[in-house]
Amino acid sequence: MISKEAIISNGAPSETFVLNLGPQHPATHGVLRVKMTMDGEYIVRAEPVCGYIHRMQEKMGENRTYAQFLPNTSRIDYLSAMTYTHGFVGAVERALKLQVPPRAEYIRVITSELNRISSHLVWWGAFLLDLGGFTPLLYAFDDREKILDLLEGITGSRLTYSYFRIGGIYNDVDDSFIKGTRAFVTQMRPRLKMYRSLVTDNIILRKRLINIGPISKEMCRKYGATGPVIRGSGVPYDVRRVEPYSAYSEFDFLIPTFEETDSMARYMVRMEEMAQSLRIIEQALDKLPAGPVMAEKVPRVLKLPAGDYCYAVEAARGRFAVRIVSDGKEIPYRVKLRTPSLSNLSLFEEASAGMLLPDALALMGSLDLVIPDIDR
Amino acid sequence: MEAQEDNSQLLKDCAPYVKFAKLDELLALGRANSLWPLTFGLACCAIEMMAAGASRFDISRFGAEVFRPSPRQADLMIVAGTVNKKMAAAVKTLYDQMPEPKWVIAMGNCAISGGPFVFPGQYAVVEGVDKLFPVDVFIPGCPPRPEALIEGLLKLEEKLTGKRRWPTVKPE
Amino acid sequence: MNPTVPQLPNSAPQPAPTPAPAAAAPAKPAVSTAPQPPAPSRPPPPPAPPPPNPLAHLSFPFNGVDYAAKGYHCEATVSPDQVVAVAEVLDKEGLSLDTITGVDWMAEGQMEVVYDYFHPAKALRVVVRTRIPRDNPEIASIHKVFPGANWHERETHDFFGIRFLGHPNLTPFLLPEDADFHPLRKDYAA
Repeated sequence: MISKEAIISNGAPSETFVLNLGPQHPATHGVLRVKMTMDGEYIVRAEPVCGYIHRMQEKMGENRTYAQFLPNTSRIDYLSAMTYTHGFVGAVERALKLQVPPRAEYIRVITSELNRISSHLVWWGAFLLDLGGFTPLLYAFDDREKILDLLEGITGSRLTYSYFRIGGIYNDVDDSFIKGTRAFVTQMRPRLKMYRSLVTDNIILRKRLINIGPISKEMCRKYGATGPVIRGSGVPYDVRRVEPYSAYSEFDFLIPTFEETDSMARYMVRMEEMAQSLRIIEQALDKLPAGPVMAEKVPRVLKLPAGDYCYAVEAARGRFAVRIVSDGKEIPYRVKLRTPSLSNLSLFEEASAGMLLPDALALMGSLDLVIPDIDR
Repeated sequence: MEAQEDNSQLLKDCAPYVKFAKLDELLALGRANSLWPLTFGLACCAIEMMAAGASRFDISRFGAEVFRPSPRQADLMIVAGTVNKKMAAAVKTLYDQMPEPKWVIAMGNCAISGGPFVFPGQYAVVEGVDKLFPVDVFIPGCPPRPEALIEGLLKLEEKLTGKRRWPTVKPE
Repeated sequence: MNPTVPQLPNSAPQPAPTPAPAAAAPAKPAVSTAPQPPAPSRPPPPPAPPPPNPLAHLSFPFNGVDYAAKGYHCEATVSPDQVVAVAEVLDKEGLSLDTITGVDWMAEGQMEVVYDYFHPAKALRVVVRTRIPRDNPEIASIHKVFPGANWHERETHDFFGIRFLGHPNLTPFLLPEDADFHPLRKDYAA
């Protein structure tokens, strides 16, 4: 960083100015406002201001029955909608001690992993758009459309699914889904190789990301950052491995972890995760058991026993946890949604101090934020 | 008179090469075929808007792929997502900053009427972006498919030019 | 299983006409006018072992919780002036802050502040609860221990009106800057 003395001795003014990024900005992935105090091109202090897409999800949790709240769960983080619904129905099933049949668990895993790949593809395309490359977005969305075709065939929706129900899933998968998913896995692997040689090994991308935006292990722990942010800082924390849920303990997959802590490490974590998700999908398709897809004896009127219940899942952005406080009635007393983007963004102020503005935008893109996930 | 006869022969000779039309119609055709949207994705509908701009649905076929980040350079605001009371002032400012002629498409249930986030006692959502400024086309859906966004764009073109230049998909 | 009548030691002599001969069937219960203890139909099930408490070595009263039923491993209810000390202790244990939230128990006149912690290397989910009076909800901020608490406390203040003492910037986080209402209180009406 150029010293202030050097700047002043050249005759430049030594004052800072406030630059407002957003809330409407192509690089903020939604409505985020960042008030940046700038010293020329360097950031002195970047303060994110949230709340521009606050949609009262937690208040609606106190106004809706458990079944009525399901569509809300898809809209908290719409790119990773399956996993968010999983978190909520998992908490209710835990409270009611419902046994989800194995076939439903496997299908939940398959659809969640497909959703994870489609979310990472959107992240990849949008991140490269921020860095200035428009073309990868078109490739990413092309692959994503194939996933959306598969999921639309069984759920009816492209983005906000509400596919899981309390006790299982509402619609069984058919042969065309299984064949189509296998075909997708087969054609996606060479595409990932192409992305590697086209984009990941590109010298311009490497210069933009390597050693940019280091986030230490300790900073991740103090701020509660999870997901690819903490895995890019050397900590192999993944809810699927540490607090296994659904059928994940039956599959063999690696947790990609990189030690470098910079934006390139977080980028590589997500690219490797897509490959690991393909492995999980293949294993789940091979071992898919027959049977019902809905638990028996799910009560028609859902009333959870009084107390609080938690459930955590690994969403595409990190750890998503639901805490339901029930007082025995049909509607929850309190629904708390612990979302990964909020914890991931909370370290931005400390991590971006002293950075150049384009580097700070690369850091923000590598955190993979979805702003309605923060504001709920 | 001779001058008039010359004129009519001249018109006949020029007919294959010179067309006459009203300036308004020409301008409307030009505007309709090159609507420049403002990048204004707020929430989930923004992803379907991006998908409409991407390779499969390709809004570029209709001239509208040039998403402009600055309102001064855009003439179409596609409000894709929920408008919040905190955000409403910014949305209104953006609308005011767009130069005339400008149009607004309200995409998705949230932009039409507040969507699934309206409940008695709600405190944060503006129930429909038409409470802030006039809207030309409403596209329902949660989120609407990219094909629905393209249909909404074609309806806007029809509103501008008076006729629809693309075939209507008839359900079978 | 054959029900067996427990023979009480040193019991009153059975008013049997004859003492039970050695050849007599041992299963024949002695007839007695004294009230017999009720025959258990089967041995009582052993009490379920208490869930393990991974934080038993700490000085705070943590209880082990059945993870499969509740979703966390340990919980403790502390008084409001202990939350910073608990946070420091859990920080030393290597835990990370998951979230902070409130619950409005209007009928009891209290607000509950719930701190969720998770460990980034092993399965350890800890919940710390505390209760503060509803008409004057104040509690110390833990942002010096966990800087991530900054935003969670602002959000809890937004929704419930709980004042976190020592917080550097307790301004609205999700609500508009000029908001003066707290929507998740149970007596909030728009």
